Amino acid sequence: MTLLEITDLRGGYGPSMVLHGISLRVDEGEIVVVLGANGAGKTTTMRAIAGLISSKGAITLDGHSIIGMRPDKVVAAGIALVPQGRGTFAKLSVDDNLLIGAAKRRDRAGVKDDLERWYEVFPRLAERKKQPAGTLSGGEQQMLAIARALMNRPRLLLCDEPSLGLAPLVVREVFSLLTRINSEQQTAMLIVEQNAELALEIASRAYLLEAGTVVSEGTAASLRDSDAVRRAYLGY
Amino acid sequence: MQLFLEYLFAGISNGAIYAALALALVMVFRGTGTINFAQGEMALFTTYIAWGLTTKNVPVVLCLLIATAAGFVLGAVTERVLIRPIERKSLLATLIVLLGLFLALNSLDGILWGNQNYTMPSLFPNAVSSFITVGGARLYWANLGLWIVVAVLVGAMFQLFNHTRLGLHMRATASNRESASLSGIPVGRILMLGWGFSAAIGAIAGVLLTPLSPDSLGVGEMFPILIQASAAALFGGLDSPGGAVIAGLLMGVVEALLSGYVPAIGGQLQEAIAFVAIVLVLLVRPQGLFGSKEVERV
Repeated sequence: MTLLEITDLRGGYGPSMVLHGISLRVDEGEIVVVLGANGAGKTTTMRAIAGLISSKGAITLDGHSIIGMRPDKVVAAGIALVPQGRGTFAKLSVDDNLLIGAAKRRDRAGVKDDLERWYEVFPRLAERKKQPAGTLSGGEQQMLAIARALMNRPRLLLCDEPSLGLAPLVVREVFSLLTRINSEQQTAMLIVEQNAELALEIASRAYLLEAGTVVSEGTAASLRDSDAVRRAYLGY
Repeated sequence: MQLFLEYLFAGISNGAIYAALALALVMVFRGTGTINFAQGEMALFTTYIAWGLTTKNVPVVLCLLIATAAGFVLGAVTERVLIRPIERKSLLATLIVLLGLFLALNSLDGILWGNQNYTMPSLFPNAVSSFITVGGARLYWANLGLWIVVAVLVGAMFQLFNHTRLGLHMRATASNRESASLSGIPVGRILMLGWGFSAAIGAIAGVLLTPLSPDSLGVGEMFPILIQASAAALFGGLDSPGGAVIAGLLMGVVEALLSGYVPAIGGQLQEAIAFVAIVLVLLVRPQGLFGSKEVERV
Protein backbone atom coordinates (compact mmCIF):
# COMPACT_ATOMS: atom_id res chain seq x y z
CA MET A 1 0.00 0.00 0.00
CA THR A 2 1.36 3.39 -0.96
CA LEU A 3 1.62 5.73 2.02
CA LEU A 4 3.36 8.82 0.65
CA GLU A 5 3.29 9.71 -3.01
CA ILE A 6 5.09 12.69 -4.48
CA THR A 7 4.51 13.61 -8.10
CA ASP A 8 6.39 16.23 -10.08
CA LEU A 9 7.35 18.27 -7.02
CA ARG A 10 8.76 21.70 -7.82
CA GLY A 11 9.87 24.32 -5.37
CA GLY A 12 12.67 26.26 -3.79
CA TYR A 13 13.38 29.42 -1.92
CA GLY A 14 11.79 32.47 -3.48
CA PRO A 15 12.78 32.82 -7.11
CA SER A 16 15.57 30.25 -6.95
CA MET A 17 14.14 26.85 -7.81
CA VAL A 18 15.80 23.82 -6.28
CA LEU A 19 13.39 21.00 -7.14
CA HIS A 20 12.63 20.46 -10.82
CA GLY A 21 9.95 17.80 -10.74
CA ILE A 22 10.69 15.11 -8.19
CA SER A 23 8.54 11.99 -8.00
CA LEU A 24 8.91 9.34 -5.35
CA ARG A 25 6.84 7.12 -3.10
CA VAL A 26 7.05 5.40 0.26
CA ASP A 27 4.95 2.31 1.00
CA GLU A 28 3.54 1.50 4.41
CA GLY A 29 6.14 0.20 6.84
CA GLU A 30 8.94 0.70 4.34
CA ILE A 31 12.34 2.39 4.73
CA VAL A 32 13.30 4.48 1.71
CA VAL A 33 16.52 6.42 1.40
CA VAL A 34 17.21 9.51 -0.69
CA LEU A 35 20.82 9.94 -1.77
CA GLY A 36 22.50 12.81 -3.53
CA ALA A 37 25.39 15.22 -3.38
CA ASN A 38 25.27 18.57 -1.62
CA GLY A 39 22.77 20.86 -3.32
CA ALA A 40 20.88 18.04 -5.04
CA GLY A 41 17.65 19.07 -3.29
CA LYS A 42 17.36 16.40 -0.59
CA THR A 43 16.72 18.74 2.33
CA THR A 44 14.47 20.94 0.21
CA THR A 45 12.36 17.87 -0.64
CA MET A 46 12.01 17.09 3.06
CA ARG A 47 11.11 20.67 3.90
CA ALA A 48 8.51 20.74 1.14
CA ILE A 49 6.87 17.56 2.46
CA ALA A 50 6.85 18.95 6.01
CA GLY A 51 5.18 22.16 4.85
CA LEU A 52 8.08 24.46 5.73
CA ILE A 53 8.39 25.80 2.19
CA SER A 54 5.74 26.22 -0.46
CA SER A 55 5.93 23.97 -3.48
CA LYS A 56 4.01 22.89 -6.57
CA GLY A 57 3.09 19.43 -7.78
CA ALA A 58 1.35 16.77 -5.71
CA ILE A 59 2.10 15.30 -2.28
CA THR A 60 -0.42 12.83 -0.95
CA LEU A 61 -0.57 10.80 2.22
CA ASP A 62 -2.96 7.84 1.91
CA GLY A 63 -4.33 9.48 -1.21
CA HIS A 64 -5.18 12.74 0.58
CA SER A 65 -3.36 15.83 -0.60
CA ILE A 66 -1.16 17.47 2.02
CA ILE A 67 0.56 19.99 -0.19
CA GLY A 68 0.27 23.59 1.02
CA MET A 69 -0.61 22.53 4.56
CA ARG A 70 0.97 24.27 7.55
CA PRO A 71 3.70 22.23 9.27
CA ASP A 72 1.56 21.51 12.33
CA LYS A 73 -1.25 20.22 10.09
CA VAL A 74 1.18 17.94 8.27
CA VAL A 75 2.17 16.56 11.68
CA ALA A 76 -1.49 16.02 12.49
CA ALA A 77 -1.88 14.16 9.19
CA GLY A 78 0.77 11.67 10.36
CA ILE A 79 4.18 12.84 9.14
CA ALA A 80 7.00 13.90 11.47
CA LEU A 81 10.30 15.41 10.34
CA VAL A 82 13.54 15.05 12.26
CA PRO A 83 15.19 18.18 10.89
CA GLN A 84 18.81 18.54 9.89
CA GLY A 85 20.61 19.99 12.91
CA ARG A 86 18.14 18.19 15.18
CA GLY A 87 15.99 21.17 16.21
CA THR A 88 16.73 20.71 19.90
CA PHE A 89 14.94 22.97 22.38
CA ALA A 90 18.27 23.67 24.02
CA LYS A 91 17.23 25.31 27.28
CA LEU A 92 14.32 22.98 27.96
CA SER A 93 14.75 19.68 29.74
CA VAL A 94 14.88 16.36 27.91
CA ASP A 95 11.47 15.57 29.43
CA ASP A 96 9.98 18.82 28.10
CA ASN A 97 11.50 18.22 24.67
CA LEU A 98 9.72 14.89 24.46
CA LEU A 99 6.42 16.31 25.76
CA ILE A 100 6.59 19.01 23.08
CA GLY A 101 6.83 16.15 20.60
CA ALA A 102 3.40 15.04 21.78
CA ALA A 103 1.83 18.40 20.89
CA LYS A 104 -0.86 16.84 18.69
CA ARG A 105 -2.01 14.27 21.21
CA ARG A 106 -4.83 14.48 23.70
CA ASP A 107 -4.47 11.11 25.45
CA ARG A 108 -2.44 11.85 28.58
CA ALA A 109 -2.07 8.23 29.63
CA GLY A 110 -0.89 7.20 26.17
CA VAL A 111 1.66 10.02 26.12
CA LYS A 112 3.02 8.86 29.47
CA ASP A 113 3.30 5.28 28.22
CA ASP A 114 5.14 6.44 25.10
CA LEU A 115 7.51 8.53 27.22
CA GLU A 116 8.39 5.43 29.23
CA ARG A 117 8.74 3.38 26.08
CA TRP A 118 11.18 5.78 24.41
CA TYR A 119 13.18 6.10 27.59
CA GLU A 120 13.54 2.32 27.48
CA VAL A 121 14.66 2.40 23.87
CA PHE A 122 16.99 5.35 24.51
CA PRO A 123 18.33 4.69 28.03
CA ARG A 124 20.87 7.50 27.80
CA LEU A 125 18.03 10.00 27.49
CA ALA A 126 16.39 8.54 30.59
CA GLU A 127 19.55 9.25 32.58
CA ARG A 128 19.33 12.91 31.53
CA LYS A 129 15.59 13.53 31.85
CA LYS A 130 15.87 16.76 33.84
CA GLN A 131 18.98 18.10 32.11
CA PRO A 132 18.74 20.99 29.60
CA ALA A 133 18.70 19.29 26.21
CA GLY A 134 21.41 21.63 24.90
CA THR A 135 23.93 19.95 27.18
CA LEU A 136 23.50 16.53 25.56
CA SER A 137 26.15 15.23 23.17
CA GLY A 138 25.49 15.34 19.44
CA GLY A 139 24.53 11.67 19.33
CA GLU A 140 22.19 12.03 22.29
CA GLN A 141 20.56 15.06 20.70
CA GLN A 142 20.00 13.09 17.51
CA MET A 143 18.31 10.33 19.49
CA LEU A 144 16.27 12.94 21.33
CA ALA A 145 15.17 14.44 18.02
CA ILE A 146 14.07 11.01 16.77
CA ALA A 147 12.25 10.18 20.02
CA ARG A 148 10.60 13.62 19.97
CA ALA A 149 9.32 13.08 16.44
CA LEU A 150 7.99 9.64 17.41
CA MET A 151 6.00 11.06 20.34
CA ASN A 152 3.30 12.21 17.91
CA ARG A 153 3.03 8.60 16.66
CA PRO A 154 3.68 9.42 13.02
CA ARG A 155 2.97 6.88 10.31
CA LEU A 156 5.86 8.29 8.32
CA LEU A 157 9.10 9.51 9.85
CA LEU A 158 11.28 11.83 7.77
CA CYS A 159 14.95 11.92 8.84
CA ASP A 160 17.20 14.58 7.36
CA GLU A 161 20.88 13.56 7.59
CA PRO A 162 20.71 11.72 10.90
CA SER A 163 24.44 10.97 10.71
CA LEU A 164 25.54 14.61 10.37
CA GLY A 165 28.42 15.44 12.70
CA LEU A 166 28.35 12.13 14.55
CA ALA A 167 31.17 9.69 15.18
CA PRO A 168 31.01 6.52 13.05
CA LEU A 169 30.12 4.30 16.01
CA VAL A 170 27.30 6.61 17.04
CA VAL A 171 26.03 6.69 13.46
CA ARG A 172 25.80 2.88 13.51
CA GLU A 173 23.86 3.06 16.75
CA VAL A 174 21.40 5.62 15.35
CA PHE A 175 20.80 3.52 12.25
CA SER A 176 20.28 0.31 14.18
CA LEU A 177 17.76 2.10 16.40
CA LEU A 178 15.91 3.35 13.32
CA THR A 179 15.76 -0.23 12.01
CA ARG A 180 14.49 -1.45 15.36
CA ILE A 181 11.77 1.20 15.51
CA ASN A 182 10.75 0.39 11.96
CA SER A 183 10.37 -3.30 12.68
CA GLU A 184 8.67 -2.88 16.06
CA GLN A 185 6.29 -0.03 15.21
CA GLN A 186 5.95 -0.49 11.44
CA THR A 187 6.74 3.24 11.13
CA ALA A 188 7.58 4.00 7.52
CA MET A 189 10.71 6.09 7.03
CA LEU A 190 12.09 8.39 4.39
CA ILE A 191 15.75 9.06 5.16
CA VAL A 192 18.03 11.57 3.49
CA GLU A 193 21.64 10.55 3.90
CA GLN A 194 25.15 11.31 2.72
CA ASN A 195 26.48 8.10 4.19
CA ALA A 196 25.27 6.02 1.26
CA GLU A 197 26.65 2.65 2.26
CA LEU A 198 25.08 2.59 5.67
CA ALA A 199 21.77 4.03 4.47
CA LEU A 200 21.48 1.44 1.71
CA GLU A 201 22.03 -1.29 4.29
CA ILE A 202 18.84 -0.47 6.18
CA ALA A 203 16.65 0.72 3.29
CA SER A 204 14.56 -1.43 1.02
CA ARG A 205 14.47 1.08 -1.83
CA ALA A 206 16.44 4.20 -2.76
CA TYR A 207 16.32 7.29 -4.96
CA LEU A 208 19.31 9.21 -6.26
CA LEU A 209 18.88 12.96 -6.69
CA GLU A 210 20.98 15.18 -8.86
CA ALA A 211 20.32 18.89 -9.42
CA GLY A 212 16.73 18.68 -8.27
CA THR A 213 15.61 15.63 -10.24
CA VAL A 214 15.55 11.90 -9.65
CA VAL A 215 18.27 10.37 -11.83
CA SER A 216 18.12 6.83 -10.55
CA GLU A 217 15.81 4.68 -8.44
CA GLY A 218 15.42 1.09 -7.46
CA THR A 219 15.95 -1.43 -4.70
CA ALA A 220 18.70 -0.64 -2.24
CA ALA A 221 20.72 -3.59 -3.55
CA SER A 222 20.51 -2.48 -7.17
CA LEU A 223 21.57 1.08 -6.32
CA ARG A 224 24.48 -0.19 -4.28
CA ASP A 225 25.84 -1.88 -7.36
CA SER A 226 25.00 0.95 -9.73
CA ASP A 227 27.65 3.01 -11.46
CA ALA A 228 25.80 6.25 -10.80
CA VAL A 229 25.91 5.81 -7.04
CA ARG A 230 29.48 4.63 -7.07
CA ARG A 231 30.51 7.65 -9.07
CA ALA A 232 28.60 10.05 -6.86
CA TYR A 233 29.61 8.63 -3.50
CA LEU A 234 32.27 6.08 -3.43
CA GLY A 235 34.65 7.73 -5.85
CA TYR A 236 35.58 4.77 -8.03
CA MET B 1 12.72 54.70 59.74
CA GLN B 2 9.30 56.09 58.95
CA LEU B 3 10.67 58.00 55.99
CA PHE B 4 12.61 54.97 54.78
CA LEU B 5 9.46 52.85 54.88
CA GLU B 6 7.46 55.41 52.97
CA TYR B 7 10.10 55.56 50.25
CA LEU B 8 10.21 51.79 50.26
CA PHE B 9 6.42 51.43 49.88
CA ALA B 10 6.36 53.89 47.01
CA GLY B 11 9.30 52.06 45.45
CA ILE B 12 7.61 48.67 45.70
CA SER B 13 4.47 50.04 44.03
CA ASN B 14 6.41 51.51 41.13
CA GLY B 15 8.54 48.40 41.05
CA ALA B 16 5.48 46.14 40.83
CA ILE B 17 4.30 48.10 37.80
CA TYR B 18 7.75 47.98 36.18
CA ALA B 19 7.83 44.27 36.93
CA ALA B 20 4.45 43.64 35.31
CA LEU B 21 5.31 45.63 32.19
CA ALA B 22 8.80 44.13 32.02
CA LEU B 23 7.19 40.68 32.17
CA ALA B 24 4.92 41.70 29.29
CA LEU B 25 7.93 42.93 27.30
CA VAL B 26 9.80 39.69 27.95
CA MET B 27 6.82 37.60 26.78
CA VAL B 28 6.78 39.41 23.45
CA PHE B 29 10.55 39.38 23.16
CA ARG B 30 10.76 35.64 23.67
CA GLY B 31 8.22 34.98 20.95
CA THR B 32 8.93 37.69 18.42
CA GLY B 33 12.49 38.78 19.22
CA THR B 34 11.77 42.48 19.54
CA ILE B 35 11.04 44.99 22.28
CA ASN B 36 7.43 46.04 21.89
CA PHE B 37 7.77 49.83 21.88
CA ALA B 38 4.01 50.10 21.77
CA GLN B 39 3.57 48.12 25.00
CA GLY B 40 3.12 51.25 27.12
CA GLU B 41 0.71 52.89 24.69
CA MET B 42 -1.37 49.72 24.46
CA ALA B 43 -1.62 49.78 28.25
CA LEU B 44 -2.53 53.47 28.20
CA PHE B 45 -5.20 52.96 25.54
CA THR B 46 -6.90 50.26 27.58
CA THR B 47 -6.56 52.35 30.74
CA TYR B 48 -8.47 55.13 28.95
CA ILE B 49 -11.15 52.59 28.11
CA ALA B 50 -11.40 51.61 31.78
CA TRP B 51 -11.51 55.25 32.84
CA GLY B 52 -14.18 56.02 30.23
CA LEU B 53 -16.33 53.25 31.67
CA THR B 54 -15.91 54.52 35.24
CA THR B 55 -17.35 57.86 34.13
CA LYS B 56 -20.46 55.89 33.08
CA ASN B 57 -20.68 54.56 36.63
CA VAL B 58 -19.54 51.06 35.78
CA PRO B 59 -17.97 49.41 38.88
CA VAL B 60 -14.19 49.65 38.82
CA VAL B 61 -13.71 45.87 39.05
CA LEU B 62 -15.80 45.41 35.93
CA CYS B 63 -13.85 48.21 34.20
CA LEU B 64 -10.62 46.38 35.03
CA LEU B 65 -11.95 43.14 33.56
CA ILE B 66 -13.22 44.82 30.41
CA ALA B 67 -9.92 46.70 29.96
CA THR B 68 -8.02 43.44 30.41
CA ALA B 69 -10.13 41.73 27.77
CA ALA B 70 -9.75 44.73 25.46
CA GLY B 71 -5.98 44.58 26.01
CA PHE B 72 -5.94 40.90 25.13
CA VAL B 73 -7.81 41.55 21.89
CA LEU B 74 -5.62 44.56 21.05
CA GLY B 75 -2.46 42.50 21.56
CA ALA B 76 -3.71 39.50 19.62
CA VAL B 77 -4.94 41.62 16.70
CA THR B 78 -1.65 43.53 16.62
CA GLU B 79 0.25 40.27 16.27
CA ARG B 80 -2.05 38.87 13.62
CA VAL B 81 -2.49 42.00 11.50
CA LEU B 82 0.70 44.05 11.95
CA ILE B 83 3.47 41.75 13.12
CA ARG B 84 2.94 38.43 11.39
CA PRO B 85 3.09 39.71 7.80
CA ILE B 86 6.10 41.94 8.58
CA GLU B 87 8.36 39.92 10.84
CA ARG B 88 9.34 37.49 8.10
CA LYS B 89 10.86 40.42 6.22
CA SER B 90 13.19 41.71 8.92
CA LEU B 91 13.54 42.50 12.58
CA LEU B 92 14.17 46.14 11.77
CA ALA B 93 10.89 46.39 9.87
CA THR B 94 9.08 44.95 12.88
CA LEU B 95 10.68 47.55 15.15
CA ILE B 96 9.65 50.38 12.83
CA VAL B 97 6.08 49.06 12.69
CA LEU B 98 5.98 48.98 16.50
CA LEU B 99 7.30 52.54 16.69
CA GLY B 100 4.56 53.51 14.26
CA LEU B 101 1.97 51.80 16.42
CA PHE B 102 3.36 53.65 19.42
CA LEU B 103 2.80 57.01 17.70
CA ALA B 104 -0.56 56.03 16.23
CA LEU B 105 -2.02 54.86 19.56
CA ASN B 106 -0.70 57.94 21.32
CA SER B 107 -2.32 60.26 18.76
CA LEU B 108 -5.52 58.24 18.86
CA ASP B 109 -5.65 58.73 22.63
CA GLY B 110 -5.31 62.48 22.07
CA ILE B 111 -8.08 62.51 19.47
CA LEU B 112 -10.48 60.40 21.52
CA TRP B 113 -9.86 61.79 24.98
CA GLY B 114 -8.15 65.13 24.49
CA ASN B 115 -4.98 66.46 25.98
CA GLN B 116 -6.17 67.14 29.51
CA ASN B 117 -5.38 64.79 32.38
CA TYR B 118 -7.93 62.79 34.33
CA THR B 119 -8.06 61.15 37.73
CA MET B 120 -8.81 57.47 37.67
CA PRO B 121 -10.90 55.99 40.50
CA SER B 122 -9.19 53.18 42.39
CA LEU B 123 -10.18 49.57 42.74
CA PHE B 124 -9.38 49.88 46.44
CA PRO B 125 -10.37 52.37 49.16
CA ASN B 126 -8.50 55.48 48.15
CA ALA B 127 -9.47 58.21 50.58
CA VAL B 128 -6.82 60.31 52.30
CA SER B 129 -7.46 58.24 55.40
CA SER B 130 -7.42 54.77 53.74
CA PHE B 131 -4.12 53.59 55.09
CA ILE B 132 -2.70 51.33 57.72
CA THR B 133 0.33 52.33 59.74
CA VAL B 134 3.40 50.16 59.50
CA GLY B 135 6.39 51.20 61.63
CA GLY B 136 5.03 54.73 61.74
CA ALA B 137 4.76 54.92 57.96
CA ARG B 138 1.51 55.13 56.05
CA LEU B 139 0.74 52.23 53.74
CA TYR B 140 -2.26 53.04 51.57
CA TRP B 141 -4.76 50.36 50.60
CA ALA B 142 -4.33 51.29 46.96
CA ASN B 143 -0.64 50.39 47.20
CA LEU B 144 -1.21 47.20 49.13
CA GLY B 145 -3.96 46.18 46.71
CA LEU B 146 -1.67 46.82 43.76
CA TRP B 147 1.04 44.65 45.28
CA ILE B 148 -1.38 41.80 45.83
CA VAL B 149 -2.90 41.95 42.36
CA VAL B 150 0.53 42.08 40.69
CA ALA B 151 1.77 39.22 42.86
CA VAL B 152 -1.23 37.08 41.92
CA LEU B 153 -0.87 38.03 38.27
CA VAL B 154 2.83 37.19 38.16
CA GLY B 155 2.19 33.94 40.04
CA ALA B 156 -0.51 32.99 37.56
CA MET B 157 1.74 33.73 34.59
CA PHE B 158 4.51 31.56 36.03
CA GLN B 159 2.05 28.78 36.70
CA LEU B 160 0.96 29.07 33.09
CA PHE B 161 4.53 29.06 31.71
CA ASN B 162 5.90 26.23 33.77
CA HIS B 163 3.03 23.92 34.57
CA THR B 164 0.62 23.88 31.66
CA ARG B 165 0.64 22.42 28.21
CA LEU B 166 0.03 25.86 26.69
CA GLY B 167 2.99 27.21 28.66
CA LEU B 168 5.20 24.39 27.39
CA HIS B 169 4.15 25.19 23.84
CA MET B 170 4.89 28.87 24.44
CA ARG B 171 8.37 28.02 25.73
CA ALA B 172 8.94 25.70 22.78
CA THR B 173 7.91 28.40 20.32
CA ALA B 174 10.19 30.91 22.03
CA SER B 175 13.09 28.46 22.00
CA ASN B 176 12.92 27.25 18.39
CA ARG B 177 9.98 28.28 16.29
CA GLU B 178 10.61 25.98 13.32
CA SER B 179 11.16 22.98 15.51
CA ALA B 180 7.99 23.81 17.44
CA SER B 181 5.93 23.83 14.25
CA LEU B 182 7.52 20.54 13.19
CA SER B 183 6.37 19.09 16.50
CA GLY B 184 2.80 20.02 15.65
CA ILE B 185 2.48 23.27 17.58
CA PRO B 186 0.41 25.93 15.79
CA VAL B 187 3.05 28.62 16.35
CA GLY B 188 0.96 31.43 14.85
CA ARG B 189 -1.78 30.88 17.42
CA ILE B 190 0.77 30.59 20.23
CA LEU B 191 2.44 33.89 19.29
CA MET B 192 -0.96 35.58 19.03
CA LEU B 193 -1.85 34.34 22.52
CA GLY B 194 1.50 35.57 23.85
CA TRP B 195 0.85 39.06 22.50
CA GLY B 196 -2.66 38.94 23.88
CA PHE B 197 -1.50 37.96 27.37
CA SER B 198 1.22 40.57 27.35
CA ALA B 199 -1.15 43.40 26.40
CA ALA B 200 -3.65 42.16 29.00
CA ILE B 201 -0.93 42.40 31.67
CA GLY B 202 -0.23 45.94 30.47
CA ALA B 203 -3.91 46.84 30.81
CA ILE B 204 -4.02 45.57 34.39
CA ALA B 205 -0.84 47.48 35.23
CA GLY B 206 -2.29 50.69 33.78
CA VAL B 207 -5.59 50.42 35.64
CA LEU B 208 -3.78 49.74 38.93
CA LEU B 209 -1.10 52.39 38.56
CA THR B 210 -3.12 55.37 37.39
CA PRO B 211 -5.25 55.88 40.55
CA LEU B 212 -2.13 56.14 42.75
CA SER B 213 -1.76 59.83 41.98
CA PRO B 214 -4.42 62.35 40.95
CA ASP B 215 -4.55 63.76 37.41
CA SER B 216 -2.13 61.14 36.14
CA LEU B 217 -4.14 59.73 33.24
CA GLY B 218 -2.88 61.63 30.21
CA VAL B 219 -1.27 60.96 26.84
CA GLY B 220 2.24 61.21 28.34
CA GLU B 221 1.63 58.86 31.26
CA MET B 222 3.03 55.59 30.02
CA PHE B 223 6.12 56.52 28.03
CA PRO B 224 8.45 57.09 31.01
CA ILE B 225 7.13 53.93 32.62
CA LEU B 226 7.85 51.95 29.47
CA ILE B 227 11.44 53.23 29.58
CA GLN B 228 11.81 52.04 33.17
CA ALA B 229 10.19 48.72 32.36
CA SER B 230 12.46 48.20 29.33
CA ALA B 231 15.47 48.94 31.51
CA ALA B 232 14.18 46.39 34.01
CA ALA B 233 13.61 43.80 31.30
CA LEU B 234 17.11 44.38 29.98
CA PHE B 235 18.55 44.34 33.48
CA GLY B 236 16.88 41.06 34.34
CA GLY B 237 17.71 39.47 31.00
CA LEU B 238 15.36 39.91 28.06
CA ASP B 239 14.56 36.22 27.84
CA SER B 240 13.99 35.68 31.55
CA PRO B 241 10.49 36.28 32.97
CA GLY B 242 11.75 35.76 36.53
CA GLY B 243 14.61 38.17 35.94
CA ALA B 244 12.21 40.81 34.61
CA VAL B 245 10.07 40.65 37.75
CA ILE B 246 12.99 40.80 40.18
CA ALA B 247 14.73 43.57 38.23
CA GLY B 248 11.48 45.55 37.99
CA LEU B 249 10.98 45.49 41.76
CA LEU B 250 14.63 46.28 42.38
CA MET B 251 14.51 49.16 39.98
CA GLY B 252 11.43 50.69 41.63
CA VAL B 253 12.92 50.45 45.10
CA VAL B 254 16.39 51.74 44.18
CA GLU B 255 14.86 54.58 42.23
CA ALA B 256 12.60 55.61 45.15
CA LEU B 257 15.38 55.42 47.72
CA LEU B 258 17.93 57.26 45.57
CA SER B 259 15.60 60.08 44.63
CA GLY B 260 14.44 60.28 48.24
CA TYR B 261 17.80 60.33 49.94
CA VAL B 262 20.06 61.94 47.33
CA PRO B 263 18.86 65.51 46.83
CA ALA B 264 20.98 65.87 43.69
CA ILE B 265 18.85 63.20 42.01
CA GLY B 266 15.49 64.16 43.49
CA GLY B 267 12.47 63.94 41.25
CA GLN B 268 14.28 65.43 38.26
CA LEU B 269 16.93 62.82 37.58
CA GLN B 270 14.77 59.89 38.70
CA GLU B 271 14.27 58.69 35.15
CA ALA B 272 17.97 58.93 34.38
CA ILE B 273 18.52 56.02 36.75
CA ALA B 274 16.97 53.73 34.15
CA PHE B 275 19.37 54.93 31.49
CA VAL B 276 22.35 54.47 33.78
CA ALA B 277 21.11 50.95 34.49
CA ILE B 278 20.76 50.19 30.77
CA VAL B 279 24.28 51.39 29.99
CA LEU B 280 25.81 49.50 32.89
CA VAL B 281 24.04 46.28 32.03
CA LEU B 282 25.04 46.45 28.38
CA LEU B 283 28.65 47.08 29.37
CA VAL B 284 29.07 44.53 32.11
CA ARG B 285 26.60 41.77 31.51
CA PRO B 286 24.91 42.06 28.12
CA GLN B 287 22.68 39.06 28.72
CA GLY B 288 21.28 40.64 31.91
CA LEU B 289 21.23 39.36 35.45
CA PHE B 290 19.25 36.20 34.77
CA GLY B 291 19.32 36.04 30.99
CA SER B 292 21.06 33.11 29.44
CA LYS B 293 23.76 32.80 26.91
CA GLU B 294 22.67 29.86 24.85
CA VAL B 295 24.75 26.82 25.73
CA GLU B 296 24.52 24.04 23.23
CA ARG B 297 26.78 21.20 22.39
CA VAL B 298 26.85 20.23 18.76
